[in-house]
Amino acid sequence: MYDKTVRRRRAVLVLLVVLSLLLLTAYFGEAPGGRLHAVQRGFLTVVSPIQDGANKALKPVRDLFGGIGDTFHAKSQRNQLLKQVGKLRRELVADQGEKRTYRQLLGIYHLDQLGVNNYHPVTATVVAKSPNIWYSTVTIDKGEAAGVHVNDPVINGEGLVGKVAQVASDGAQVELITDSRMGVSARIGTGTATGIIRPKVGNPNDLLLEYLPANTPAVAGEYVVTSGTVSSHDDSLYPPGLPIGQVTSVNEESAYRSVNVRPMANLHNLDVVQVLTSSRGGRAASLAGLAASLPAGQGAGTGGSGGEQLASTGAGG
Amino acid sequence: MSSSGTVTSLLARVAALAVLIVFFQIGVVSEVPVFGVNVDLSPLLVAFVGLLCGSMLGALTGFAVGLLVDLALVQTLGVTSLIFTLIGFWCGRLRELRDPQAALTPLLVGAIASAVSLVGYSLIEFMLGVDAPVSLELLRQIVLGIVVNSIVALPLWAIVRRVLEGALPEDPRRRRRRRAYTTGGLSPLSRA
Repeated sequence: MYDKTVRRRRAVLVLLVVLSLLLLTAYFGEAPGGRLHAVQRGFLTVVSPIQDGANKALKPVRDLFGGIGDTFHAKSQRNQLLKQVGKLRRELVADQGEKRTYRQLLGIYHLDQLGVNNYHPVTATVVAKSPNIWYSTVTIDKGEAAGVHVNDPVINGEGLVGKVAQVASDGAQVELITDSRMGVSARIGTGTATGIIRPKVGNPNDLLLEYLPANTPAVAGEYVVTSGTVSSHDDSLYPPGLPIGQVTSVNEESAYRSVNVRPMANLHNLDVVQVLTSSRGGRAASLAGLAASLPAGQGAGTGGSGGEQLASTGAGG
Repeated sequence: MSSSGTVTSLLARVAALAVLIVFFQIGVVSEVPVFGVNVDLSPLLVAFVGLLCGSMLGALTGFAVGLLVDLALVQTLGVTSLIFTLIGFWCGRLRELRDPQAALTPLLVGAIASAVSLVGYSLIEFMLGVDAPVSLELLRQIVLGIVVNSIVALPLWAIVRRVLEGALPEDPRRRRRRRAYTTGGLSPLSRA
């Protein structure tokens, strides 16, 4: 009897471990459109409404705990914000003159067509968040039915939040910019040199802008924005000029310069986000329209880096 | 209550607890960082089910909770299941072999389960080829994760024990120990 129990116990353990390993191997080896991914998307479709309901019902509880946590940081945040307000006021005065000139340029080149509204933003609510330090992901309540696709950029009022990684019919998983799988081409606001912005592993409050040329000027406090390309694809996933973060410090290493960046978006308290559902097509179409609208002789120049610059300027505004 | 009725009731309670805690984790706990990290209730739940119900149910709960977490959070299927299966089985074996009764046992078991979960996850992610350097910051996150999980281990243990208590089968060893305490049977003099 004792032997039978021991044998059964061992058999169950071996069976479960083997099953886990098989799942892991099959999932890791298959394409994103494979069966296990489809099962996962199906599960997401089923539980999305439940998560949505639970999220709304449990919001007061979350706000209560969040409020307690926020109180501890309130004083330091207040001092920091007061400093920022002073700095921003000074910048505002300086920027107003530039803004006038910029508006005139906008009128000339019709760059207002490259605003975020032209990327068909879909507003979504965050219904779940991964607790794992390896996966900085959130689940939103909008999916294919709302026009959301894989790789669509996700933003909020503060800046770039991430991109859509998986889509179900009424929900989607979003990889945040602090996820270890992310890599976004970015540049420091005033400069033209681009680098790759990646998360600092294990630190959800810090990003690293790498592979900048050694002579790239970088000062703490400068803004880092998307340059309009992504590290692993030829085509742009992100509209140019989306704010990502602020430079906190500069590292002097080897032939390249790297810069520590604090994300603009508060990724711990995401409630409402926007998915830019036509980022690639919209930008390409806009650039094509822009090139066509330029006088003869100037159109050819906008097809390359010149076009990227104009696009960056437009969306950055 | 018959033996099969007890088992059914126990399984139903474990399943309900698992679903509730996983969704509470995803919907609420994950949104509230403590000392910059998130409390993870799921390895604690698996460890406590193992500690109360034994290795077999511990391992099965670990596998099911891991699968649920991986499905709900769209993570690599099988990783969490594998780690949680081992945690559930180990905690169950601890109960079957040593049956620790100290008041701080859940805290210690919770801390070890959290450590195994965090370190195991990191190791598997590295083996799967995540391009990430091992940094002091990562170690700090793991240590802080273990600390905050240990803080919530005792309250969660009280909840899990309260929910499962009524459905747990009577354990002959515990009955013997209880009788020994009440009748003075543990005294070396009485054995002599």
